[in-house]
Amino acid sequence: MAEAERFVRKAVNMNRNLFPLLLAALAMVLPFILGLNEYYLFLTTLILLYTSIVVAWQLIGGYGGQLDLGAGAYHGLGAIITGYLMVYHGISGWLGLIVSGLAAAGVAFIIGYPSFRFGIREVWYALSSLALVLILQKIFLLWTDVAGPLERYIPYAAFDPFFMRSGYKAFYYYVSLALLAATFVIVYRVRKGKTGLYLLSIRENEEAAEMLGVDIRKYKLRALMIYSFIAAMTGGIYTSMVGFYHPTLFDSWISIQTVTLAIAGGLGHFWGPPILSVILLSVQEYLRISVGAVVIGLHQVIFGIILVLIILFKPDGIGPLIDSFSKKIGLMKAPLVSR
Amino acid sequence: MKNVSKALTRTQALVIVAALVIVAVVGVGVFTVFLPSTPSTAKISEVRVGLVEPLSGAYAVFGNEAKMAAELIVEEINSKGGIASLGGAKIRLFVEDSKSTADGARLAAEKLVNVDGVNVLIGAFISAHTLTMLDVTEPKKVVVMADALVDYLTARGFKYIVRLPPKASVHGATSVDFAVAVFQQAGAKIQRPVIVHFDGLFGEVTADGIYTRLRDLGIRPVDRIKYPTDITDMSPIIERIRQANPDIVFVVPYYADSVLFAKAVKSLGLKVQFIAGAGGTGLSDPDSIKAAGDATELMTNTYSYDPFLPTEYNKQLVQRFQSKYGKLPTEAAGIIFYTLWTLKEALELSGKMFPDKPLDGDNLMKALFELDLRSGPAAETYPSGRIKLGPSGDNIYAQAVVLQVQGGKPVLVYPFEKAQTKPLFPRP
Repeated sequence: MAEAERFVRKAVNMNRNLFPLLLAALAMVLPFILGLNEYYLFLTTLILLYTSIVVAWQLIGGYGGQLDLGAGAYHGLGAIITGYLMVYHGISGWLGLIVSGLAAAGVAFIIGYPSFRFGIREVWYALSSLALVLILQKIFLLWTDVAGPLERYIPYAAFDPFFMRSGYKAFYYYVSLALLAATFVIVYRVRKGKTGLYLLSIRENEEAAEMLGVDIRKYKLRALMIYSFIAAMTGGIYTSMVGFYHPTLFDSWISIQTVTLAIAGGLGHFWGPPILSVILLSVQEYLRISVGAVVIGLHQVIFGIILVLIILFKPDGIGPLIDSFSKKIGLMKAPLVSR
Repeated sequence: MKNVSKALTRTQALVIVAALVIVAVVGVGVFTVFLPSTPSTAKISEVRVGLVEPLSGAYAVFGNEAKMAAELIVEEINSKGGIASLGGAKIRLFVEDSKSTADGARLAAEKLVNVDGVNVLIGAFISAHTLTMLDVTEPKKVVVMADALVDYLTARGFKYIVRLPPKASVHGATSVDFAVAVFQQAGAKIQRPVIVHFDGLFGEVTADGIYTRLRDLGIRPVDRIKYPTDITDMSPIIERIRQANPDIVFVVPYYADSVLFAKAVKSLGLKVQFIAGAGGTGLSDPDSIKAAGDATELMTNTYSYDPFLPTEYNKQLVQRFQSKYGKLPTEAAGIIFYTLWTLKEALELSGKMFPDKPLDGDNLMKALFELDLRSGPAAETYPSGRIKLGPSGDNIYAQAVVLQVQGGKPVLVYPFEKAQTKPLFPRP
């Protein structure tokens, strides 16, 4: 009997590896399934980028419990810095991604340190992070040496991988896919490590965690900086793909979309938010194409209704639903991250 | 226990995944090889024309007017038998919303080019938005007919772009020429002009046009004031104008800000002899007059289209537009009128010159450059009455006209030889 049980465990374990493996294989061949159509690749790349932000947001929001609405700020910062370096200094986008990531993490530190030091939490933290989006937008609208009110255009190149500029969207698709994969790995490792446990304890009860000796400031700040780094990289990839940058890329809609998808997907759940973002963002784009030009704005209404339904009937998000489903088909021994 | 038999080893899993990958790649390969490639010599049943306009957002007023115009003209072309030289092929219009943003226009162009497979793209009214589309259209050799005015759209080395309406700098220069003449008629001279413009690309370039023309005439502006496009309070701007104590204000607004500007001038009682707009948006079009009330009275603006042009076709078209949509067509609609009719002429010509591949980007461009239109609907709706493209892709005979609000209605006051009535000067 013991031997049989071991066998079952092994089989289930195997399947657990199989699921991400299949997903990865599908993602690898997706451009070919889409017939290398530039438009569909453009949309799927956008979905990958936004999903990366949602996954990274788990660090500060899902595990750390901070309702951070600064995604638009970090995304925009990445876009402007990467774009600026490409346009004015001819510096490769790859280097731009790193530089903008570091810059965003720096801004996150400057904002996060006093916020956490003086214990700004909950709605107050949410508001101050949302204000960051608007403040940065105004700064770059006035700072005409870098951005200003005119769009800046990145030189066109049919295919220049070293400069990170390509007329073929498949290039950006794979870059974004790599970023999403890396984000998954980082979030998974953080969650499995000490930092993840500390963050969860902060989310559940900040005072108790502090009393037990968790350096809450340090771990919140660490989560915030990793997340802002990744959000900035999505901005850099985005700007290189669309070929221009402008301060309107500091977009509070990105902040709201990120938080909504992460919460509706299941706060702190590993698979829920990314699965939901892929589904809902695809639905949103499909609706935009099919009815967006017929009845202007209808797609946003339908998108909103779907979200309301999820919140009404699954207030914990779709995460638990995925857990029970995967247990049924033996994909999982236990929920990867319990609430 | 059931799971035991279903268990996979690592090797098996890898084999399955590898097989899936191979099948997918081969499948796509086979699919693309056997997919019917676009019939080149076969009979062309339709010409696909994409239209990208701001249908929602800050510039929706213009985008919707352009869409109305395009639908009207396409309907007319098709009902008169389509493109004769292409065997009566019909024009099929694909409209996309740019949402008044640059990435929205970009996304719209991606869809029109890659999914709908349009042969020609018209748009995107806002110059900065048009620029983002060229990255998409250029590699695919899709011809862009721009209805946006910034000068360097046609001077950035892109090959497949033409533009019929007068450039932004022409608009700027026209408003100066007009104002100088109006002052002269009253025995006065412009001495203290102030230039006010919004901070977008189009605002900058049009204001540069005003500045350059004034400088060529030896007139120095006393101030040049820039404000953000999404401004909500004009009073600081009006105050700064008052301090400069100008005899004329040249203003380059978009739509919502033009309404704000006119209202603020009235409510704050700014005294200035004349207010001359440039750039075809706001101030003297029916929508602005409706929104700003009598605040726009006697203000002028330059336009790329003259709704009062006394040609047979134009009169009849304006009447049809008015009875269908209940408003006078101005900037946005007018550009679409002659752009679509010019496209029709080019398609006819391309069908004769290149019967094998009339819709090919290179051939269509050759046909466009070959045209010299002095009659027909395109010429009859164009202010100067003639369309012939120069090497850059701009109309050599480009001309802008000036409309003034008189008694709550726009009337044509410049060029003087075509004017319906004399411009009223000075402001009370």
